[in-house]
Amino acid sequence: MPAVTDVLLPASPDEAVAAFGDGSGVTVIGGGTIVMPDITAGRIRPARTLLLARAGLAGITHEGSTVTLGAMAPLQGLVDLPAPVGPCAGNVADLEIRLQATVGGNLCSGEGAEAPRGDLQGPLLAVGAQIRSAGSGGITTEPLEDFLGHRRGRLVLDLTYEEPAAGAFAAVDRPHTHAYTTLAVSAARTSDGTIRLAATGAGWWGIRLPSAEAAAADPAAAGAAALKDVKLHDDALASAWYREQALPVLVRRALARLEES
Amino acid sequence: MNLNVNGRTHEIESPPLTTLLDVLREELGVHSPKVGCEQGGCGACTVLVDGAPRRSCLLPVAALDGAEITTVEGLGAAEHLEPVQAAFVHHYAAQCGFCTSGLLMAATAYIANGGTDDREAIAEALGGHVCRCTGYVKIVDAVAAAARGDEFDLSVTAAGLFTTTMSGGAA
Amino acid sequence: MKAVGARVPRYDGVAHVTGRTVFVEDVEIPGVAWVKALRSPHHHATITKLDTRPAEQMKGVRAVVTAADVPLNVYGHLSALGIPGDEPLLADAEVRYLGQPIAVVAADDEQTAQAAVDAIEIEFEERPALFDVRKAFDPDAPQIHQWGNWYPHFEAGMDRRQIRKGDIDAAFAQADVIVQGVYRPAAIEQLPLETQVCQVVPEANGRLTIYSCTQALYFSMGVVAAHLQQPLNKFKFVGGTVGGGFGGKVDTATETLCSLLALKSGRPTKWRWTREEEFLCSSTRAPWHMEMADAVTKDGWILGRRMITLHDSGAYARFSPYGVTKHAFHHTGAYTIPNLHFDGWCVFTNRTPTSAMRGFGVTSVSFATETHLSRIAEELGIDPFELRLKNANRIGDTSPNGVVYTDPSTVPTILAIADHLGHELPADYRTMTSEPRSDGLLPEHLVAQVGNPEDH
Ligand SMILES: Cc1cc2nc3c(=O)[nH]c(=O)nc-3n(C[C@H](O)[C@H](O)[C@H](O)COP(=O)(O)OP(=O)(O)OC[C@H]3O[C@@H](n4cnc5c(N)ncnc54)[C@H](O)[C@@H]3O)c2cc1C
Ligand code: FES
Ligand code: FES
Repeated sequence: MPAVTDVLLPASPDEAVAAFGDGSGVTVIGGGTIVMPDITAGRIRPARTLLLARAGLAGITHEGSTVTLGAMAPLQGLVDLPAPVGPCAGNVADLEIRLQATVGGNLCSGEGAEAPRGDLQGPLLAVGAQIRSAGSGGITTEPLEDFLGHRRGRLVLDLTYEEPAAGAFAAVDRPHTHAYTTLAVSAARTSDGTIRLAATGAGWWGIRLPSAEAAAADPAAAGAAALKDVKLHDDALASAWYREQALPVLVRRALARLEES
Repeated sequence: MNLNVNGRTHEIESPPLTTLLDVLREELGVHSPKVGCEQGGCGACTVLVDGAPRRSCLLPVAALDGAEITTVEGLGAAEHLEPVQAAFVHHYAAQCGFCTSGLLMAATAYIANGGTDDREAIAEALGGHVCRCTGYVKIVDAVAAAARGDEFDLSVTAAGLFTTTMSGGAA
Repeated sequence: MKAVGARVPRYDGVAHVTGRTVFVEDVEIPGVAWVKALRSPHHHATITKLDTRPAEQMKGVRAVVTAADVPLNVYGHLSALGIPGDEPLLADAEVRYLGQPIAVVAADDEQTAQAAVDAIEIEFEERPALFDVRKAFDPDAPQIHQWGNWYPHFEAGMDRRQIRKGDIDAAFAQADVIVQGVYRPAAIEQLPLETQVCQVVPEANGRLTIYSCTQALYFSMGVVAAHLQQPLNKFKFVGGTVGGGFGGKVDTATETLCSLLALKSGRPTKWRWTREEEFLCSSTRAPWHMEMADAVTKDGWILGRRMITLHDSGAYARFSPYGVTKHAFHHTGAYTIPNLHFDGWCVFTNRTPTSAMRGFGVTSVSFATETHLSRIAEELGIDPFELRLKNANRIGDTSPNGVVYTDPSTVPTILAIADHLGHELPADYRTMTSEPRSDGLLPEHLVAQVGNPEDH
């Protein structure tokens, strides 16, 4: 039984923002699928925790072509969204984890030598999501891409994106539901024909693939160009060498699927 | 705060970040959910929270005020087994039994949500559960049988590949 | 014999599906103290400082036990057979694998126990560590074990398990082809869903009641009694419900230390390993290094096998010599090879000690043999089923250690597999049985070596 002193359980988004303040000394618990094992095992002993379970941030709305995902939306609620977001969410863990794991937690899962766990970062980068977060300086909205570089110290509230005209997701198959995604590529094409590509598992967190985007008209060239955009690493899931072989293939597949859709 | 466990309401005293698993086992003496990993990786702790299958080792109890929890103790007792329980016995789906509680709860939710005997759908629904003993085939057999509505006479067990259906107790 | 061939309902089936099966941790013991261990963070190191006082002084801590508290600290898993022990229950001067226990704490709750472990002051001086069984066998490898880098206590003081059968030189002289291979299966964690766990209650009558998940109850009782230097009648073991073991619960992992803490604190104690401890610190199936060379005729008779095996025992011997013995006795798989020259060593490394897992010692060499036979078949251009059937164990053949087979099952098994796969076989193979080889099928060089089956 964890000996935590202070547990905040806000009942609305405003209360959550107020309780979070500038975020200093606060550990946020979204679905808890990553934080709770750390607390139970005593690997982290937070003095102050903010439980978002009842903060009312779980909504998923579709207004016209605008999609809004609340930070506390469970991943299972995303699986029927069009590619690349839906298929990516459906590829995370198993049903029970997806009922528990949240969008906010997925975007804020720790980076580093640990296996990459923020699978949704890739597709949400590809669709050009804007992220709304609270913290010092108040509530801000910015592109997810900018947020990922500095995400510590922010409370994610929600994400918004325009549904792309076409989307695609391609991942290295997982041997079973407990395996994290080794490498995945997401693609989206807007109505004006712009193609955006992003990868998960090709760096410490999700990244855009600008060189591959520039070469998107020629999938083979795009696959090769993608290698210029990444700094591949070895981890428990795969070696950098393996990722180097797989990335061009996934870029090609994602572009082919984009063509088909 | 309160939890309703298998139809009875309990006032909970454990600290707020205690996992539901620990509350059930240590505070309430409900032992069917098992401690397999405490990190969401095995499914031995799965219970129903308001009808949905959840890993109880990942849930801080403070987030569950007023929730309805169902564990294996809330399914049928020995004389009144639910079909899915009978199916597990009939099809030898439990060996050591350590994973069984979690699987039964996941299977219960699957069937309650209209799951059929489609083996792939069953594998997808139970995909987060680890069983080290059975090799899963018999578990899927059992869930499929229960989903189909098969009836079981527990003195008779499922036929094997090389042996006939026979009860050891028969004279 | 009503049960043979019948489908018998499991005696525990209904209990399992109603949540009524009582596993070790389901036994509710009021006031039970939690146990946590201080484990080595290094693969190999000298302990230069150990001070448990900060832990002892913490509120809620009931007892701390180190090597100094253990009546007989070094006792081997095979000591009951007269083989000297090498492994301390708690490390004192030296640690030899990552996760090796150094001290254990019993406290009022899990957090306090962990905090007490964290408060223990300890310092190390790291030493070179060996992780590869083949490199550990090099003559110039750093010495990591008090007995040298391999186990020296096989019968008659031999440092290896050795098999000599027939005339190996003659077999190799007659061979048309020599097929060689090196096989290195890796370590495997048994991974039972229930981690290592026990609860110990000090009873008013001075005895200890031990709720244990052991797969080997009387063996574990002997181990606890030996470390504690107490007669067996001081212990009541309650076992029988194991949440998966697969060999990993043959070693006595928790019972002895929980007993010492129960005695020292006067409180019941409980120790459940975390999943992380189970992965990092519990024994695994061993990695093996096997080199084999088979002397083969063009038509697919295996005349002889030379083999050396290095079994990775990890840091201490535990049951490894037993595993190597079984390995040696089974090193021709399901086949009869008349001339053998086998040497198997138990080599020490700085890995977690290895132990039993489903077919202890045998699965490694079955894997090697089957792979090797397929390679021989490929090299000779022979059907792999025919090669296996030719060399299959027959009634009257002898195992590497001289046991006469009276009912070998190789031939019917391979024929069943061929049937199942729809693999076609020529008539003389299809009609093969386990009966002794007839002269027609017995090649000349084997007549002399296998002898007349009538003589067996
Ligand atoms: C068995 C298993 C399999 C898994 N498989 C996958 C997989 O395939 N792919 C994958 O991507 N992940 C996987 N995960 C990891 C994890 O479940 C997901 O990444 C999940 O989306 C994390 O969300 P959460 O709400 O549970 O996070 P939490 O544990 O609640 O939080 C994770 C981190 O984010 C912070 N945080 C949470 N919410 C917010 C917020 N709103 N604002 C700011 N910070 C916040 C927390 O403080 C913490 O640092 C798996 C986990 C398990 C147990
Ligand atoms: S104990 Fe909860 S998933 Fe393993
Ligand atoms: S029956 Fe033992 S783990 Fe499933």
